[in-house]
Amino acid sequence: MTDLLSIRISRLFYEKKHLISDIDLGVHSGERILIVGATGSGKSSLLNALNLMNLSYHGEIRFEGKALTDYPPHILRSRIVMVMQEPWLGEGTVQEVLDEALGYHAIKKRELNGRERKVSELLHAFELSESYLGQKADQLSGGEKQRIALIRALQLNPEILLLDEITSALDQKTSGIISDCIFTNFPGTVIAISHDPLWQDRWQRSWTIAGGTLTDNREVK
Amino acid sequence: MDISYIGLLLAMLLLVFPLMIFSQLKLKLSKQLLISFGRMIGQLALIGLWLQFLLDQEDWRLTLLWVAVMLVNAIMTLRGRLRFQRRILVPVLFAALGTASLVVMPWILFMVVRPDPLFSAKFVIPIYGMVLGNSMNSCALALERFESGLSDNWKAYYTRLSLGATLWEAALPPFRKAMQASLLPQLLTIASMGVVSLPGMMTGQILGGSSAIVAIKYQMMVMAAIFSAVTLADFVAIRLYLVRRFNRYYLPIQELK
Repeated sequence: MTDLLSIRISRLFYEKKHLISDIDLGVHSGERILIVGATGSGKSSLLNALNLMNLSYHGEIRFEGKALTDYPPHILRSRIVMVMQEPWLGEGTVQEVLDEALGYHAIKKRELNGRERKVSELLHAFELSESYLGQKADQLSGGEKQRIALIRALQLNPEILLLDEITSALDQKTSGIISDCIFTNFPGTVIAISHDPLWQDRWQRSWTIAGGTLTDNREVK
Repeated sequence: MDISYIGLLLAMLLLVFPLMIFSQLKLKLSKQLLISFGRMIGQLALIGLWLQFLLDQEDWRLTLLWVAVMLVNAIMTLRGRLRFQRRILVPVLFAALGTASLVVMPWILFMVVRPDPLFSAKFVIPIYGMVLGNSMNSCALALERFESGLSDNWKAYYTRLSLGATLWEAALPPFRKAMQASLLPQLLTIASMGVVSLPGMMTGQILGGSSAIVAIKYQMMVMAAIFSAVTLADFVAIRLYLVRRFNRYYLPIQELK
């Protein structure tokens, strides 16, 4: 089986600071991978390298056998979608927030059949009612915003979902809902940074970054 | 009706009132007032002599040369005023103001006024001065607004990118806001024209002896020329700024300090 993503990086930087050496990893379709490590160890820099948001590295990352840098950036980022720690939703209603990306060139080219049904399924799965669609996005709580940000990403049917500490500002219960939901509702590949112990127990593969090196652990749970 | 030099001196005597008020309030503006008016008198006297020379010569080469000097001057003034990304500003401003000038001025000269000779200094220089001055100010405002719209909300920009936006799609909201901020006040001024204030050009023409009808026709033409030039200049400026501000992965290029 060929790798969906292959990461060969000799040196990874944050701006000019050297963080990690000698990364050689393959990721299969549908894998769920957790990145762990201390603050400043390079977790986010690695995650950001996977969707062309960080290009400070020596080496090559390939997606479906083709170098990331050979893709038009918007096409790549519509297939490898990132959700950030503190989501930005903008000023409109939740419906408008969800619809904005549908106008993008890269998204228009994708088949998004049954998107509305999918959104309502996702709302249900994330324990939000449909009445949220009419609410102003900037008036939602932190946990609600983060769930809307995830629905916004998942409705696009990405092949890979990159999650950067998306539950770090949330309570245990909300974090649990989000974790469950991603596991049961998203068939694609997930690469996530998280400190949440709840998450660490259930992810079958983890990349631990310490002392400038990355260790790949696979456990069958 | 000419103003005599004695008359002009008497006009300057009007400054006695501000000077008296400054002194009463112990407001430290008297020195600045003398400097400002001194500079204005010196600069206008020089430019007046120079313009009179250009008008007397009626040489199209001299007129075009002066137009080029005005353009370069506008770009350098703007560059001094904008405090960000100076390294990339000069070519951007040159293209923006150049495009606006090259679209609007030939239109006015070839199609509307058709002066004889075509590059008559009497028409070209005052009209170009208004078109260029307004485009310059508007460009500065639009670029400033665009840059602050981006840097006040990088998170919005990065979020759009991370959902698959192109550079254009991710930057469009601050682009729109910048255009709005620059153009709306001008549209409001245009809407109030004639009711709230008589525009300077019209006032000048009427004082200079033109009929009020001719003066309003010129004013209408000039407003259309200015607004069109301003919009073109803002659009080209931000569009090019965008291309030079970001790399091919749509990530911002760090400013070299």
